[in-house]
Parts: sequence; C-alpha cells; structure tokens
Amino acid sequence: MQDFFELAVGAAASGCVYGLIGLAYLLIIRPTGIINFAVGEWAMLAAFGGYVTLTKYEWPYPVGMAVVLGLMFVVGWATERVVVRRLVEGGAPLLAPILALLGMLVVFRESISVTFPPDPHPVPDAFGIGRLELGPIGGTYQSFFTIVTALGVFIGAWLFFERTVAGKAFEAVALNRRAAALMGIDLTRVTALSFGAGAVVAGLGGLLVAPNISAHYLMGVPLAIQGFTALVIGGVGRVAGPLLGGLLLALAEQLTVRYAPVPAGYAQGVPLVLLMVFLLLRPTGLLKAKV
Amino acid sequence: MKSENPLALRATPLIRGAGAFIVLAGAAFFMGDYHNDVYRKLLLWVTLALGYNFLFGVCGQVAFSHFAFYGIGAYSIVIFLFQLHLPFPLAAICGIALCIVFALAVAIPSTRLEGFYLALVTLALGQLFIVVLNEGGTVTGGTGGIANYRLPEIYGLRLRGPWYTAVIALLVVATYAVLVRLDRSGFGRACRAVRDNPEAAAAMGVDVARTKVIAFTLTSVLAGIGGMVYAFVDNTVNPPIFGIENAFLLLFMVIVGGAGRHAGAVIGAVLLFLLPFWLSPLVGHHHALVFGVLVVAAILLEPRGLIGIYDRVADRYKGSPSR
Repeated sequence: MQDFFELAVGAAASGCVYGLIGLAYLLIIRPTGIINFAVGEWAMLAAFGGYVTLTKYEWPYPVGMAVVLGLMFVVGWATERVVVRRLVEGGAPLLAPILALLGMLVVFRESISVTFPPDPHPVPDAFGIGRLELGPIGGTYQSFFTIVTALGVFIGAWLFFERTVAGKAFEAVALNRRAAALMGIDLTRVTALSFGAGAVVAGLGGLLVAPNISAHYLMGVPLAIQGFTALVIGGVGRVAGPLLGGLLLALAEQLTVRYAPVPAGYAQGVPLVLLMVFLLLRPTGLLKAKV
Repeated sequence: MKSENPLALRATPLIRGAGAFIVLAGAAFFMGDYHNDVYRKLLLWVTLALGYNFLFGVCGQVAFSHFAFYGIGAYSIVIFLFQLHLPFPLAAICGIALCIVFALAVAIPSTRLEGFYLALVTLALGQLFIVVLNEGGTVTGGTGGIANYRLPEIYGLRLRGPWYTAVIALLVVATYAVLVRLDRSGFGRACRAVRDNPEAAAAMGVDVARTKVIAFTLTSVLAGIGGMVYAFVDNTVNPPIFGIENAFLLLFMVIVGGAGRHAGAVIGAVLLFLLPFWLSPLVGHHHALVFGVLVVAAILLEPRGLIGIYDRVADRYKGSPSR
C-alpha cells in the first residue's frame, strides 16, 4: 500500500505536468482552433530558462521562475505576432498556421541545440531535495510543489473563464469568432493573449518537470504527445479536462512501468494506446462540454 | 486531348516512364561508389516525398508516421528474411501486410473525427516506433540495429552496385506512375475534395473517413516498400534513420517544393536533400534550423512552394493564366 501511495503521488505530479501542457493546447485551441505542436518545445525552452537562471546564475527560485515565465509570455506572444497573425488575418486555411507552428517547433528545438551542448542540463527543485510525509502519503517536495502549483493554475484558469468578463470574451470567441467580433471583442488581442498564456502554462509545466528529467533539447515532443493525450482523454470542452486526462495518463504510465512485464521504455506506448482507445470509444473525452 | 490512335495515347506515358527510368538508372553507371550511395538516398527521398505528397498535398492529411512505416518495411524484410528464413517474395508480402495492419490500426480511430487527430496519433506512433526498435533486444538489434546481411539472390540474380541503383530508379518511376494515375482517377478527385471541403465532399457522396483511411494506408505501404528497398542500400538498418526528425523533414520537403503537385514533391526532396551538402561548411550539423526557417518562410510568403514560384514565372513568359 505504501508502495502504491508513493507511486500515486509521483503519478499525480507527472499528471499535473501533462495537464498543464494539455491546458496550453486548450487555451489556444478554444479561441483559434489551432493545434499548436510547439507547446512541448515551449516547455523545453522554459526548462532551459530554468537551467540558465537557477543553475547557472543561481538566482532565487521565485525570481528565476518569474523571469522565465515572463519571457515565455513574450515568446508565445511573439510566435503569434510573427507567424500566426499574418496567416489568420490573410484568411489562410487552418492548416497553414498549424504547419507554420510545426516549423517553429523545429526552429525552437534547433536554436537550443545550437546554443547548448547536447547533454542533459540539471534544473534545481523549488524547495531543495527532501521528502514530505502526510500520514501514509509521502513524496518529494517537488512532487507536492508541482501538484499545488498546477492545481492553483487550473483553479485560476477556471475562475478566469467562469467569473471574469475577459474570460467570457475568450469563451465567446471559442463559440463563434464572427459573432464575437461583431460584439466588439478584439479577436487579435484574444488570439495574442491565448498564445502568450499558452506559452506561460506550457513553460510552467516544463519548469516543474525539469528537475526530474533534466532540460534536454529533445524533451519537447514526448511532452507534446503526453499533453495532447491528456486533452483527448479529458475532453476539450472543460478547463478541468486536461487535468483529469493528465492524471489518468500518468497513473497508467506509472502502473505500466511498475507492474507490466515489458521494458520501461515501452511506457512511452501508453499515450498511443490511450489515444486510440479514447478516439474509438469516447472521442469527446470524459468531461462533456457545458451546453 | 484526343488522339486518333488509341495505341499512341496509351504508349506515351509508358515510353516517357521508360525514358525516365533509363536516364535515372543510366546515370548510376557513371558514378563512383560514394556518389552512387548519395544518389540512391536521393532517389529514396524522392520516392518518399512523392508518396507523402499524395497523403498530405492531395488528400490534406498530416501524418508523421511515414518514416515509421519506412522502418517497418526495412526491419520486417530483414527480420523475415534472415531470422525467420522466409523466401524473398513471402518476406516482402509479409512486410507489406504488416504495414497495412499498422496503417489501418492507426488510421481508423484517428479519421473518425474532424481535426488533426491523425497528426497526433502518428506522432505518438513515430515516437513509440523508435522506442520499440531500441528496446527490441535481439529481434531488432537494439540501438545498434541489424547489420551483416546481404541481398539474397533473387531468381539467380545478385543485384549490386549500379544495378541495385537501377532497382531504386525503377521504384521512383513506378511510384510516380502509380500516384499520377491515382491522382487523376476518381479516387484522386475524392481525395482532393476531402482536402478542400470535407462537408461538401460528404454531400457529394464521398465517404470521407474511408477515403482518408485508404489514402493513409496506401501511402504508408508505399513508404514500407521504400523501406524494404532501403534495407539493402546500406546493408544495415538502425533506429536513428526512422525517427520523427526525418518525418518532419519529409513534410518540409513537400511544403517547400509545393504541396499537392508531384513535381513540387520532387523539387522539394531534391533541394532539401542536397542543401545539407552545401550548408555543412557554414552551419555544420545544424541544417535542421535552416529547414525550419525555410518552411515557416515558405508558408508565410509562398504557400504554393517553389512550384508556385515556377508557375508564376512560367505564366509571365507564356502570358497564359495558370491552371
């Protein structure tokens, strides 16, 4: 049982990271319809930001984190400004910005691979290395920090969409772009903000997972796959969707690693299997969108 | 275009194909070993780009599994031939069957919905394929892959050197011929309709999901056959060749060359294949960065790719509107 709780805490922490990446997809898909393959690379960029600020220059964690997330907002905003806006406003088909972002995926990754040597770069834990025991439930500080932070982000996102006028504007754009524009909502701003926020959320995911897997220029694509799987499992309709999906995916992965009689690397097949099962059996995801 | 002589009409593409084959294969006999090797890989890239162009350019489906199927083809023929000791034709058929099974398993769930699920599922498949190759133990040879095998004699013939390059030239020409035929058939028109407007295509009686599944399976099988041919180019198969990176590169080739046009796929494949040779003195191994910038620039500035630029220039000289 002890063993299972240990596994559950670790899975919850990974699941929260997948959930954050899924949320980054969702923030961009809802208002624009664009699937941004580069979210995984955004997480990777933030992890390298963490390496530079926290490991190399040894800034205090909150300062480094704030600077990295601030820069991620700029990266997301700039990506939208330079690559996406022209295509959307020029009336290009939806595929065009998606492919352009795929090009950006390679640009982001190769920029890092040019700048840093190809070995893993360590990123520190937020509260150092240590364990927290809450009754039978125990885990590393970083696991609990990840869970609490991610929950905070999801509650914040939920409050934003449910309780603020700006959030309602996002929802309106998601429901009907043209009608929203006619109601005086600035589509360009909503799109730019959704990319900026998406980059911040993905970056947070990257920063939180980096201590476990180290910053590496190839870390983006697996995260992009796991985040998207989380989104498909949970459903695009609700903010809580990617979180639920991420938790289920992480649990399935951890159980596979622990108990399935296959090499641990095969756990990378779990997202694919879950993707296919959910696309076949429940393509809308577990959580239905509100009517 | 109506010809008086039905024989002439039928013979023309055949003669053109034979001519192309003779030129492409003949060139190999004037090359040294090194250039033969480069040339073979160029021809294989062109084959892959042609197939991918049919899926992406003609049918509008984004997938990242083309190199996984290339790998399934390459590994399966080697494993079937040298570990299970099947005769060559049977091994080839089993390899193709394997490609079909995997392609259907991936395509059927992911094409049920509107959206880009195929792209994401095939991304996951491509990533997993490399893991399976690396962890496959003695079957796949792990990270080192499989080496030390040679093309067996087929009907007493042992193809090597430029003669094997001729086989690859045949593959390119045959792939081109099949895809052009298919493109002009009812199925090709259905594919284009699905790409341009799925709702309208469905309203016209096209089974959208089935068209996507068939296009994906067919092009995946073509990639698998390419992989079988590739297996005997280096006489070794190892995981890095079949990764996601090359799948991205294939997509970039088609976009830069001009999606939806067979000539565009050829131009893009040749250009992006040769570019690293010219770029390496400048950027070393980081030509992927150049490719990324190139593809973003192509999408922003010339969505029809290089072939679009060619069309415009050609139109200006001819003074006729493009088709």
